[in-house]
Amino acid sequence: MAEAKVHNPIEINPETCVKCNLCDWICPGDLIYKEEDNRETLPEIVYPDECWYCGLCQSICPTNAINIVFPGQMVHNQTNVVDLLGKVVE
Amino acid sequence: MGNWTTLETDVLVVGGGVAGTMAAIPALEAGLKVVICEKGKVLDHCGSVGCGVDHYLTVMDTGPEWDTPEFLIKHVPELTDGIVDMAVASRVIHEMPRIFRKIESFGVDFKDRKTGTYYRLRSFGLPGTYHINFDGTDFKKHLGERVRKGKATVLMRTMVVQLLTQDNRAYGAFAFDFRTGEWYAIRAKAVVLAAGDVNRISRNASGLAFDSWHFPYNTGDAQAMGYRAGAALANMESVEATLTPKGFSTQGLNALVSLGAYFVNKSGERFMFRYDTKGENARRAVLADAVINEYLLGNGPIYLDCRHLPQEMLDRMERTLQVDRYTLPAFYQQKGVNFREELVEISISELSIRRSGVYFRGSGLAVDTNGETSVAGLFAAGDCATVSGGIAGAAVLGHIAGEGVVRRVRGTVGLLPEIDAKAVESVRARAKNHLERREGIGWKQFEDETRRTVTDHVGVRRTDKGLRLALQTLQALAKREPQLKADDLHGLMRVHESVNIRLNAEIMASASLARKETRTGSAHWRLDYPKTDDEHWRKFVIVERGKDGPAVRTLSTDRPLSDAFARDAAVA
Ligand SMILES: Cc1cc2nc3c(=O)[nH]c(=O)nc-3n(C[C@H](O)[C@H](O)[C@H](O)COP(=O)(O)OP(=O)(O)OC[C@H]3O[C@@H](n4cnc5c(N)ncnc54)[C@H](O)[C@@H]3O)c2cc1C
Ligand code: SF4
Ligand code: SF4
Repeated sequence: MAEAKVHNPIEINPETCVKCNLCDWICPGDLIYKEEDNRETLPEIVYPDECWYCGLCQSICPTNAINIVFPGQMVHNQTNVVDLLGKVVE
Repeated sequence: MGNWTTLETDVLVVGGGVAGTMAAIPALEAGLKVVICEKGKVLDHCGSVGCGVDHYLTVMDTGPEWDTPEFLIKHVPELTDGIVDMAVASRVIHEMPRIFRKIESFGVDFKDRKTGTYYRLRSFGLPGTYHINFDGTDFKKHLGERVRKGKATVLMRTMVVQLLTQDNRAYGAFAFDFRTGEWYAIRAKAVVLAAGDVNRISRNASGLAFDSWHFPYNTGDAQAMGYRAGAALANMESVEATLTPKGFSTQGLNALVSLGAYFVNKSGERFMFRYDTKGENARRAVLADAVINEYLLGNGPIYLDCRHLPQEMLDRMERTLQVDRYTLPAFYQQKGVNFREELVEISISELSIRRSGVYFRGSGLAVDTNGETSVAGLFAAGDCATVSGGIAGAAVLGHIAGEGVVRRVRGTVGLLPEIDAKAVESVRARAKNHLERREGIGWKQFEDETRRTVTDHVGVRRTDKGLRLALQTLQALAKREPQLKADDLHGLMRVHESVNIRLNAEIMASASLARKETRTGSAHWRLDYPKTDDEHWRKFVIVERGKDGPAVRTLSTDRPLSDAFARDAAVA
């Protein structure tokens, strides 16, 4: 089975990003990598499936270049909550 | 393998969150040398509250009886269902007004911007309006600034992985920088563990491990390292879940509830009053319990209902939504739901080990009234300690621990032990093994196995058989730890976290098996012992490292946990 494509939690607009590194510095999960002292390269989200969806990167971005995108299993969740409440073995 | 650097300091603080920064402050004020290791990159924003906070619990001693420490202390036994270290809780509550004013002096503005007064609310079943509702976007920034002014050495993106102890005395730790690969051996006269709660330990609705109500990068590292070093833990059987909008494990619901929102079940019934006379104003643990019960009764889905509220209150809600979680408005928007006019489906979040929805009864490292654990020179504060309560609990016990550290350091005579060369060799070999291994098990798979086991058998509904089954699975999983592989330095951090999460799960299962009663509803719900048994179980369950795994004993809650410590009392 092919591995399901990992959802990308943040979209970075290459037109408006000023390559300032702030998102890399602020992300609490160490997910965003931006080459230091290089005004050419864009930040990259290296570990997308470890995102907390906290939005710190978005809130700190000086040019509003970051957009948070929630995956389907978050916005249209189909889980049966009872499945989270344990299996009873008597 | 990267380079090794050796550092000497008076105090090492593990974790630069609320408790860690507050512990560093008195040590810096006393002129001590302080090193802080922190996984995040920016001290002003790291940890659970990096995105901001919206409530602070405190007595202020403004005059009325309910606002005095004595009044709140009197109510602590009932708030904690009798399982609480009253000695430590009383010290924390007594210190609350002083620490609150100190934090205000750092520049945190607790007043409502519009009215210029404190907006104090009654919530979570507390016997007074102890919660200040405020715009705490910059709360952490002010603590960070204070520490930077005090000239601490702050090692960012640096994970502490192992404590150094000799003869039940802590003298430092090993840490590594997961961006550069630099390793540190830090020798210290005292160590403060302030690395937060345990997350990523059970499943939630979205099935995404890092979509958690609390900070998913706090993985019980302090509890695990303390345990390995011989420190006693208590209350580890109590778990905590909250109510979240279904699909997004986030805070934000409780704020809405304290502002007047209702819960309704699939029949549209407002059911909370069937569970508590305070209705939606009941303690957080009671709220979660009631919703769990409604789901088990087949009354789900459960919804949040704000439709009855006046526009002014809805506006206030809308403003506070993003203080708790910046992305919550975006979530509602992308989901296409308007909470002002529509019902919002809710779920139970994943579990975490923190304070089981109860103030002043933390699950974690047992501490005395100075914040010192059963290992001399090893302190703990915040969500990893046995008395906790949000940012205020972390700030106050953190500050107490910082003052305790000053006394410890001043009382330290003689030389610290040399850094154990064998221990250096072994952490180095372990890291090399994980990084160079091609075959083996990935940390994600390993962690999933822990989460599955906890969700099925250690989570909400516990039985003797289920817990034993879980212990077997978790112990078998431990044997696979040497096979864990890390793709890079970031992965090496995650491998250490996964190992710590598993250990916390094993400790939790052991403590749960020992407590043969049910207490605080689903925080510890034994199907085979469904009643609260005050006659036999007004006791702490204490877990320590034994010869073959967690060793459990009990202590009457009439006594402070420090009565179980096998060390001399802290220097007075
Ligand atoms: C989004 C959110 C909103 C909240 N809002 C409120 C609120 O309004 N009011 C309230 O009272 N409470 C609130 N809480 C709870 C509150 O944040 C916590 O109770 C409090 O932060 C606990 O403090 P702490 O120092 O124990 O943990 P934290 O503040 O989380 O600090 C722990 C730190 O340790 C670091 N760390 C972890 N492991 C290691 C390691 N191995 N090595 C080095 N560093 C490590 C982490 O990176 C982190 O910075 C909120 C929590 C969250 C997640
Ligand atoms: S913070 Fe914004 S502008 Fe700066 S690098 Fe990141 S995306 Fe680009
Ligand atoms: S939303 Fe938070 S965790 Fe996710 S990439 Fe942005 S800062 Fe990192």
